[in-house]
Amino acid sequence: MLIYALQRLALSVVIVAVALSILTLMLHVAPGDPAVMILGPRATPELIAQTRVEMGLDRPLAVQILTFFGNIAQGDLGRDVFTGREVSTIVFEQLPYTLALIAISIAWSGALGIALGAFSALRRNSWLDTLTGVLSVGTISIPAFVMALYAVLVFAVWLRWLPAIGAGEGLWDGLVHLALPSFAMGISWVGYVARMVRASMLEVMGRPHVRMARAFGLPERRIARSHVLRIAVLPAVTLIGTGAAHLFSAAVFVEVIFARPGVGALLVSAVNERNYPIVLGAVLVTTGIIVLATLVSDLVVAWLDPRQREAL
Amino acid sequence: MTDFTPAARSGLGRRTFLKGAGLGLAAASMPLGARIWAQTGKVLRVSSYADIDALDPGFYQNGYNVDVMNCIYSKLVRYTPGREWDWELEAAEEIEQVDDTHIRFKLRPGIMFTGGYGEMTAEDVKFSFERVIEHDSPVKSDWGPLDHVEVTGKYEGVIVLKEPFQPLWTIALPYGAGHIVSKAAVMEATEAGGDFGMEPPCFSGPYVLKEWRPNQFVHLTRNPEWTGEAPGFDEIRILPMDDTKTAERAYEAGDLDFTEITLSSLAQYRGNAPRDTTIEEYPSLYYVWLGMNLDNPALGDENLRKAIQHAINVEQILGAAYFGEAAPATGLIAPGLPGHREAPLVPVNGDLEKAREYLEAAGGPPSQPLTLDALNATVWKTMAEVIQAQLAQIGIPVQINVQDSGSFWTLGMESEGERWKDMQLVLNRFSMLPDPYYATSWFVTEQVGVWNWERFSSPEFDDLHQQALSETDPETRGELYVRMQDLMERSGAYKFITHEGAPVMYRAGLEPGLRPDARPLFIDFAPGA
Repeated sequence: MLIYALQRLALSVVIVAVALSILTLMLHVAPGDPAVMILGPRATPELIAQTRVEMGLDRPLAVQILTFFGNIAQGDLGRDVFTGREVSTIVFEQLPYTLALIAISIAWSGALGIALGAFSALRRNSWLDTLTGVLSVGTISIPAFVMALYAVLVFAVWLRWLPAIGAGEGLWDGLVHLALPSFAMGISWVGYVARMVRASMLEVMGRPHVRMARAFGLPERRIARSHVLRIAVLPAVTLIGTGAAHLFSAAVFVEVIFARPGVGALLVSAVNERNYPIVLGAVLVTTGIIVLATLVSDLVVAWLDPRQREAL
Repeated sequence: MTDFTPAARSGLGRRTFLKGAGLGLAAASMPLGARIWAQTGKVLRVSSYADIDALDPGFYQNGYNVDVMNCIYSKLVRYTPGREWDWELEAAEEIEQVDDTHIRFKLRPGIMFTGGYGEMTAEDVKFSFERVIEHDSPVKSDWGPLDHVEVTGKYEGVIVLKEPFQPLWTIALPYGAGHIVSKAAVMEATEAGGDFGMEPPCFSGPYVLKEWRPNQFVHLTRNPEWTGEAPGFDEIRILPMDDTKTAERAYEAGDLDFTEITLSSLAQYRGNAPRDTTIEEYPSLYYVWLGMNLDNPALGDENLRKAIQHAINVEQILGAAYFGEAAPATGLIAPGLPGHREAPLVPVNGDLEKAREYLEAAGGPPSQPLTLDALNATVWKTMAEVIQAQLAQIGIPVQINVQDSGSFWTLGMESEGERWKDMQLVLNRFSMLPDPYYATSWFVTEQVGVWNWERFSSPEFDDLHQQALSETDPETRGELYVRMQDLMERSGAYKFITHEGAPVMYRAGLEPGLRPDARPLFIDFAPGA
């Protein structure tokens, strides 16, 4: 398993490098001049040209890409073209807010989704199973940004129970400010996870080892927990791992709607401003996290499933 | 029409006047407790359309940075809050235009820089203004033909220009590059006095920057060393929100005390304002227009361009895109500024008959659809669609290209390659400061291939622009700008659409201090009694 993990880590580096190379190519192909965006409308053409040289934009694209990777190897992600601050500082300032948002969203939606899915499977064809199914499909259908808008209108504007914007200060205030954004982001995942766990549990419950456990007189609750759910939850774990990538995208909308700091909103404004160093630095970090999240979920699955552990 | 050069305002003569400190000095000498606005524990929460990215006034870029600079630095003069463009003394005790190229000033004694950098002197003024030119700042054009600042005493000096420059009073002194920094502090913090970026070495305004959390807030607190008129609030929290709708929701949820609102929300708020809220409507200085690339072969025929001008009905565009809440523009220059035209040459609502006549004179519609480039925001897309429908009425097909901001804002630039050649029609919008020169400066021949995307080149326009920069008589100056706009419109390359609008809402009891275009002057905000 250790060798497998190391192989996956090495592959992750390659994935990140390829992704960044493609992104760099796309950035340079897209129209727009970062020097103009930095200097504003009153800069002279001479100053713009000088700035392009200072930013290295006059060099061939291949040289720019190699220089970027060379700098990364030395831990230098460059500087923000507007403020002059280090990109690593800016990205890592914002990253915890996005990670907290994603983590809380996954945690509550995963927990609730697994519980609902298991409940539905065990109460199959009951009216509660039907209701859960309808709600699951309903929440899957509603985009995160729509949910976010209505959450703000209901809970912040109308009821005034929760804040509409910002990240708060301190642990408790931060959690309060996370309530609505994580609700908006996680609600559709409840449906996904619930439907997957339900289907998976129904499949596992029909297997011979479950029939054998019943034949031995084990309590249903124990069978469900130890012999069914433990196996049935594996696809959901994989789903949650890959869902991290989806949630980074959803975080963009949520961060804008709730005026929260985070990498999503940072990336959107950086792309619009052609702020190449921020775009590349932020994508480097987020791609790395997504690849690692996928790896972790695969390792968790392997840990949960002895058959996969043996195969590794 | 408002002219706020000192000669026009004083009534004492055209060249010489003395602006006394008057109430300003009296207020500065009052003890803190006697100032009725200052109440302990008061925090003002406001939004900004972007997070700050520059705190050096010599190198500022955008208005949202200046909003903060107004609080943490001092200028010789500042904009007066209210509905008319005007200015008042701030750091200056006296200021006078001695002649067309010399402006004498005297600082108010006792303005202290924080951090132990001592009292503000004329040397600091000299340093602050000259460094903009010396370090080739992107905003050095704010200072125009500044030659140097002569120091004649500890608090006295003379600003010397190479030639007369009227925007000195409307832009250079009361806005971004007019903020005064400490020479000693900046020299210590930088190499040779250049850009100090996001780390101001000291402050000299009513507030200090307590904390900046990127993409979260800017936190200002009272400057304990400030000796001027005390501001109304102890603290100000500025929350960046690039989506105005988010700010509206935040206000409704009680998280903000003041915010601008969108024109699309204005009608709704008028009929159903949030509780204890005042809604106010202000004009905006922005100008929106449809431009035509004069160097594109498809638009080479003036009759075709005039057909397009006459086919466009501005009221219809405004009804669709701005929900009828914006007024039609008559030119580049908004009402209230010198050079505002009472009416455009081409009727606001167009003239379909004339449009068809011009089109016939042009030999009919173009064989290929004309492209119309617009920014990828709802308002722009709506305007583009209405224009597309209006031109279709006379048989001109139009294809709309929406672009993100990074792509759009380099569309007509020659430095970006050949894209400018393909550009035909473009919906554009420029921001503005309260001097007409700021509008016309983008349409001179020198700006062709830079910001003059229509590639409009008129020697007469260029001459008028230069002449107006130094014209001291406000009426004559206004007439020059009217003629410039007439030239633009006669070229057929422009259809002026709107100046938009700038409505705001705020808590009842709050007394906001706003410029005539609703830009906030936070140090003038005060909690109600």
